[in-house]
Amino acid sequence: MQRLKLLLTFVAVLAPARLFADGGTVQLRKEAGALLITVFTSPSPLSAGTADISLLLQHRNGLEPVLDANVSMRLRPDASDTEIQARPTRQQAQNKLLYAAPVTFSKSGKWRLALTIFRNGERTDATGTIDVAPAPEKARSYWSYIAFPPLMIALFVVREQLISRKARE
Amino acid sequence: MDPIAAAVLSSWTLDWKTVCLLLAVGVLYVRGWWRVHSELPRKYTIGKLAAFAGGLLVLLLALASPVDAFGQMLLSAHMIQHLLLIMVAPPLLLVGQPVLPLLRGLPRWIFKEALGPFLGCRELRQVGRALVHPITSWFALSVVIIFWHLPRFYELALNSLTWHQMEHACFFWSAVLFWWPVVGVWPSHPIWPRWAMIPYVVLADLVNTGLSALFCFSDHVLYPTYQLAPRLWGISALGDQATAGAIMWVPGSIAFLLPALILGMRALERHALPVRSVSRVPRPSVTAKAPWDLLRTPILGSILRYRHFRRCVQTGMLLLAAAVAVDGFLGPQVAPLNLAGVLPWTHWRGLAVIALLMAGNLFCMACPFTLPRDFARKFVAPRYHWPRRLRSKWIAAGLLVAYLWAYEAFALWDSPRATAWIIVGYFVAAFAVDGIFRGASFCKYVCPIGQFHFVHSLVSPLQVKVRETAVCDSCSTHDCIRGNDRQRGCELNLFQPKKAGNFDCTFCLDCVQACPQENVGILHVFPAQTLIEDRRGSGIGRLMQRPDVAALVLILVFGAFANAAGMTEPVMMWMHHLHALEHARLGLSSMVPIVSALYACGLLIIPAILAAACGWASLHWARASAGRKELTYGFTLALVPLGFSMWLAHFSKHLVAGWSALVPAVERFFSRVSSGFYAQAWMPVWMLSVDLLILDLGLLLTLYVAWRVARKATDGRRNAVGVLAPWALLAGALYSAGVWIVFQPMQMRGTMMMR
Repeated sequence: MQRLKLLLTFVAVLAPARLFADGGTVQLRKEAGALLITVFTSPSPLSAGTADISLLLQHRNGLEPVLDANVSMRLRPDASDTEIQARPTRQQAQNKLLYAAPVTFSKSGKWRLALTIFRNGERTDATGTIDVAPAPEKARSYWSYIAFPPLMIALFVVREQLISRKARE
Repeated sequence: MDPIAAAVLSSWTLDWKTVCLLLAVGVLYVRGWWRVHSELPRKYTIGKLAAFAGGLLVLLLALASPVDAFGQMLLSAHMIQHLLLIMVAPPLLLVGQPVLPLLRGLPRWIFKEALGPFLGCRELRQVGRALVHPITSWFALSVVIIFWHLPRFYELALNSLTWHQMEHACFFWSAVLFWWPVVGVWPSHPIWPRWAMIPYVVLADLVNTGLSALFCFSDHVLYPTYQLAPRLWGISALGDQATAGAIMWVPGSIAFLLPALILGMRALERHALPVRSVSRVPRPSVTAKAPWDLLRTPILGSILRYRHFRRCVQTGMLLLAAAVAVDGFLGPQVAPLNLAGVLPWTHWRGLAVIALLMAGNLFCMACPFTLPRDFARKFVAPRYHWPRRLRSKWIAAGLLVAYLWAYEAFALWDSPRATAWIIVGYFVAAFAVDGIFRGASFCKYVCPIGQFHFVHSLVSPLQVKVRETAVCDSCSTHDCIRGNDRQRGCELNLFQPKKAGNFDCTFCLDCVQACPQENVGILHVFPAQTLIEDRRGSGIGRLMQRPDVAALVLILVFGAFANAAGMTEPVMMWMHHLHALEHARLGLSSMVPIVSALYACGLLIIPAILAAACGWASLHWARASAGRKELTYGFTLALVPLGFSMWLAHFSKHLVAGWSALVPAVERFFSRVSSGFYAQAWMPVWMLSVDLLILDLGLLLTLYVAWRVARKATDGRRNAVGVLAPWALLAGALYSAGVWIVFQPMQMRGTMMMR
């Protein structure tokens, strides 16, 4: 039990945030039909690999959030036929005013985003472009884990020095 | 409720890391508070417990409530979050006087061995005193608040999760320093008189007021991110900024001035100000107590002590093994759809290593293979003793090599029928060996799975052990090993009072049932304690003097890395490349020669050469009192935690990724019809973090054990470092290989990447 507690503590302290929260950087803002659409991406800067794309839908008049829409999303890298499809939902979002979906960008570069929103039998389309940076090195993303053993070894060396100094005194 | 209000209130960003951290700190505090409360009930009151719990709750609100979810869109929400982190949570936590309870809540070995030397260090105490000096702490908070509100740095935090977390950490920890002298936290002594804390907080409020005024009266938006953010409910960016300023000004000032008011009132009641009363709190006393015993826990303990508990578990496992074997022979030869392709390779292995990490050798306890022979022994007792010359681990080590080689060479995970044959073979072998020879000869000398568990249970936190040695001193019957009329004694010849560690212990609990004094328990021990102590144990001797055990350990350690590397994409590509070359030159179509050559090198030749080289270098670089062989065996044993961490990272990855593979296999087994659902290998993003952490802890434990071995074998620190160096390099190289392996794309066996 004690080991479990310690393990959990270590995990909690060291784990970098790999599960990105929704929200993040505003990538796109469009007025389409009766809606104002804002697209966020996380992490920031957006890079190849797993990412979170979330949308805020608002009425153009009054800016009230829209919570009852069906959203689908298509992402396609420039000069490529491969396409990612996702269905952002409020259930997947932490901020329940947003519609979110996790996606995996297979490569860096410009990606074309096409949104289709159905609400009260009306269809609204919006398109835009997202810049995706190259994926960071894995070792760079997880540097804290690789640095952990040397740090603990350094602390252990200090501890040994303290013990020997006390013994001398 | 209005749907928008409901959506806002349900926007919680509960991050498992935050929750786990707060829970762990809470458990630690409660544990320590309970202890100090029993000694100093008037000092550590329920109120302090409530204040600390309140502080943790406020932290949770700040980091996970809708305040966090909306912080990116509304500066006012972000401001509330910062107020909670700076002005509410830290003083509440400090009112709980957390130092003593948190220290007392730690396991004794951490407090004494790990923290003890640091707590007694003069320089560190001086640093601590300097940090909580009112001048330092006042400037720390003021500088941090001003720095992070400069547009350049605020924007940096808004656009980077890492910098945002850094910003919050700066706010929280500088606030802890700021409130420390105000609250008066043990063990620091008040440096300034209490009344001086009144101008201290009032001056801090001036900084806060200045910043608030800037937000309120600025005619432009200070942070461009909020200018770009969508406007919710028509609140303009400038209006949001002014609201944020008002929040910082009014509730912020209250948070500063309220303590000033309380301090002022107390200063007027002079007699109620015990200036140095905190120094009278005694230092934490660490007294020895009996180790925690799993068998004495309320419900689980009773279940484990139940006389037929093991039989029940074994019967369950026997039925499961029978189902797996039947499905392996008769079911479809598609691993992801067959119980024999899923249960043993994905679930059983993963659960076995997790059980070893959390408890001990639970899978030998539940072993189904020995159940039929136990039943047969009721009618025919074996007559012979296991031959003396074969009383070692060499046979088991050979079988282990054969098993690891066959697994890769014949893709056993992909062949339900081969898996079923292995299970049947196991039953036959256990029945035959134990039908002829007395005791648990199969478990002790033959079973390769048993050796895997024996070796790795050396790092388990629980051990079957006597509770009080004095009770055994007065015992003359020795029922734990000899048995009695209602219970057999230990079949593996482990005499409890002289037993050392978990090695060769199957957790059968026969000794627990046999002991008339109920003096045997499953006690908590420091992981790898046996490897550090290395005392002569009953039935196993001194592990550091056994070449067979050292060889077994080397095979298991290097086998862990070879087995995991075998499923990574680069290694598989390389093997296929070698195969193509071999096919072109020699015309061989099978992969078996390549796998055989690689495994011969990876499991036998390279480990032997490296161990010999390290052993030689150890004594070449430094002097030691122990001989070369003993030293080599001792350091080889120290590699067990690292090898175990690789097995754990590897098998738990399969378990997590392929957990759902159980569904289609079970569904098909019972209905005999496939629904067409195939389990998808799905790897959660946190798995890599967990794998790296497991490897980190494995390396650190290995180095710690090796250091203790080196200190025992030498007469000075310099010699110890010299003796340790080559083995530390070997451990570092293995760790690097492990990190490389977990970074690679892996073949998820037993699952399909399709639906």
